[in-house]
Amino acid sequence: MTWTQIGWTVIGLSAVLLIVFSILFKGKRQYKVRKFTSPGVFQKQRVAAIERGQARHLVLGDQFWSRSYPALGLHALATLPSLATSEDLLDGEQLLSAGAGELVLFARQIVEGHYQGGFSTHLPVFLPGPTPFSFLAGFIPETGLHPPGSVGMFGNFGLTAALLSEAVELRGGHVFAAAGSITAQAALFMKTQDLLIGEEVFLLPGGFEPTAVNQAGWVTEDIIRLALMILLVIAAGLKMAGVI
Amino acid sequence: MKKIFPIFIAIGTGLTVLAGYFFTLQLAPVLGLLINWGIVLVGLAGLIGIGYLLKMHVTRVAKQQKGGFYSVIVLVTFLFTAVAGFILTPEDAFFRNWVLNIIIPVETSLLALLAVTLLYGSLFIIRSRGWTPMSVSFLASALASLVFSLGYLSPQAGSVAADWINFIRRLPIAGIRGILIGMALGGVIVGVRVLLAMDRPYDGDK
Repeated sequence: MTWTQIGWTVIGLSAVLLIVFSILFKGKRQYKVRKFTSPGVFQKQRVAAIERGQARHLVLGDQFWSRSYPALGLHALATLPSLATSEDLLDGEQLLSAGAGELVLFARQIVEGHYQGGFSTHLPVFLPGPTPFSFLAGFIPETGLHPPGSVGMFGNFGLTAALLSEAVELRGGHVFAAAGSITAQAALFMKTQDLLIGEEVFLLPGGFEPTAVNQAGWVTEDIIRLALMILLVIAAGLKMAGVI
Repeated sequence: MKKIFPIFIAIGTGLTVLAGYFFTLQLAPVLGLLINWGIVLVGLAGLIGIGYLLKMHVTRVAKQQKGGFYSVIVLVTFLFTAVAGFILTPEDAFFRNWVLNIIIPVETSLLALLAVTLLYGSLFIIRSRGWTPMSVSFLASALASLVFSLGYLSPQAGSVAADWINFIRRLPIAGIRGILIGMALGGVIVGVRVLLAMDRPYDGDK
């Protein structure tokens, strides 16, 4: 079997499983995902920030696409509709920022969609800086101007995620991170209590809204991961036995 | 129609690019065209993003909001750099040196700050996260990596100790691969969901 065929198999199988499970979960069937409490804590902190009249910040990463983590930008945008609803945007304290023009444009489009055709011209989407360090340099003063009660970090980050988290926590804000890249996750592990690691990142947006499609995504990912693990163990066993 | 048209474009483009990965020779001309369009669009999006950045700072200055002074500095330096870049071009040695001699020290100082933050975080990880298996193993593996990377432990090649040290050195790579496989599968599922129009991040629908 060539790599191309393996690629087609994984993608084809994912598509089929997603469709099948989406249909199955449209009924009353439920898929129990592993227990993870961070999204719930994040939601509570967002409510607490609203009650205190503080800003809520959603950060969509400093890149839309990268070779190592190509899906993280899209994933951050896919999470956005669950968090930037019209109710969230009403008080003008829900801020959105990203470090890439594409992310800002898409985020703006999503927010405009929730505003039913974009009746408001004051959309709280901004770009603190177009590179990781300029993003950091632009974002930190923002935490002074709009002290955040809650910050959600999604998408593509590097090590600078640790400084963003530090800046928010110094202002008394709560940080929830579902940020990709291994370096960002390692750096954030030391700074942030509510953090999703590895494939857990992709349990969102279902962690906020467990719809049929999101549940189908979870179960598909689990089946393919299990299949891959079994294949890896079999291949390692065969290699040890000298068969391959 | 307003909703369906972007879905068709997204699915069509996504499937063509995906097919181009598997049928490189057959789809090379179409793929090249799509990628060129993509690059132009990304460039335009970057320009629009910079427009947003400038608009935010101009608004802050015009409305005399808090932090307006810093916005003035941003706007003046941006305009100065942009005009100098257009006149001298980025290939000019003076312009390049001038820009890099500002950017590199600033980024280096941020990196230094980052190093201090990470060191502080790692020293106080038990206090912030408690005695959990994750925090203890994180700290232990970080310390072990630091000790092994010093290079003082170099037993004779082929000995049991050398095998063990090599095994311990390979452990982080195994961990990274495990996490990367999980993330890659997650990425595949996100991509397939967009291709099947189950997720539509381009129009905000769930």
